[in-house]
Amino acid sequence: MFDEKMIYLDNASATRLDERVLEAMRPYFFDTYAVATSEFGYSQGIEAREALQKARETIASRLNAGPEEFVFTSGSTESSNMAIKGVMMALQKQNKNHLIVSKIEDFPILYSAKNLEKQGIKVTYLEVDKYGFVDLEQLKGSISKDTALISIQHANQEIGTVQNIEAISQICKEKKILFHTDATHTFTRLPIDVSKIPVDLISVAAHTLHGPKGIGGLYIRKGTPLTKWMDGGFQEFNRRAGLENIPGAIGFAKAVELVTAQENEQLISLRDHLISHILAEISQTTLNGHPERRTPQNANITFHFIEGESITLHLDMHGFAVSTGSACFSRSLEASHVILGIGGDHERAHGSIRFTLGRYNNLKEIDKLIETLKEIISELREISPLGKD
Amino acid sequence: MSKIKVNCCGETCPIPLIETRKAIRKASPGDIIEVRGTHPASKKEIPMAVKALGLKLVDVKEEGGEWTIIIQK
Repeated sequence: MFDEKMIYLDNASATRLDERVLEAMRPYFFDTYAVATSEFGYSQGIEAREALQKARETIASRLNAGPEEFVFTSGSTESSNMAIKGVMMALQKQNKNHLIVSKIEDFPILYSAKNLEKQGIKVTYLEVDKYGFVDLEQLKGSISKDTALISIQHANQEIGTVQNIEAISQICKEKKILFHTDATHTFTRLPIDVSKIPVDLISVAAHTLHGPKGIGGLYIRKGTPLTKWMDGGFQEFNRRAGLENIPGAIGFAKAVELVTAQENEQLISLRDHLISHILAEISQTTLNGHPERRTPQNANITFHFIEGESITLHLDMHGFAVSTGSACFSRSLEASHVILGIGGDHERAHGSIRFTLGRYNNLKEIDKLIETLKEIISELREISPLGKD
Repeated sequence: MSKIKVNCCGETCPIPLIETRKAIRKASPGDIIEVRGTHPASKKEIPMAVKALGLKLVDVKEEGGEWTIIIQK
């Protein structure tokens, strides 16, 4: 029955919290629960501040950044809003009112861009190729004297394609344009070294790393102009008002510490096993995204002639949690903007399934999934009205 | 033991299956769920789901383009 021994393969949406993360957070709920205070405050507040600083150092060091360049937020949605709206607001005074994003960005970037358009900001939405890569020549050709910021994701949320942010950030540096990247699906899974890659702003979050929900962060290179958009206190180097989520920050840092190169290798091995067996053993399937330049945890496959919602529902009843590539789990029938963006038609977009792996998955589970999929896909194709001609 | 009625007439795939799942989740062991609908593919995929969940498919009948599926949790 539902939820019993569920095999969870939707780790890009949220992950199971690691017990070690919870243990690291626990004292900051029950013992050191004070607000972080200055040296003039009481001891527990100073302890809280020191713990927050240590967490900041741990996370920033994973980017090879200084702790003063890392601001905690409520998650990557806030981080990306803060980066895009903060930079555009700051540079509008210099008549820099042009923003460049790709068409397949995640919704915090796309809807921030759309919102800014209503306020008079010019936005260029770059096309991508069949794998989801931005064309660097098109990117260069889109830059104008008014361009303030380019925001291109490190990896795609649905198809896992990893962009060449090294080359993109170099273009930005040469043209003296700020560069933001959304690294929600790559942080700790793939290396980013800000001393080598001239990226100015990076959005990250804990919920994809077996850390807690509701905590994320924004790397802000020293000297980056950014208007503060949430007013109140002077927390987070006066970048973000509001009491710090100290247990969340501690949990985020612990989650970062726990991700190892060995774990990432294991995810790649499981991912490749899953992809190769599905493509070989189930007919009429297409891998979405690049076969190699993809995140260790992502496999996105279209099962032609069947709707993704039917597959997710039947997998749920067989004890698997996966997500559909399209946004139509509700009663709307809007297809995935990512699959459409890489040139897929509505049929391909509606039949795509995203499998995202995590720390607690193993080969036995993946083999069970492949066998179950073979059965479900065969039965659903028997009754599907699609592709019968 | 109670009887839960789900009317999906006029709805197309995957709505009847979603509504059936909702009813199954709410039902107590032994309860009867009666699903009515008109979408032909759903008539076939609801029994698939019932089998996957290990529930009892009591009856499937159709009259005048409207089908009724009876499930026991």
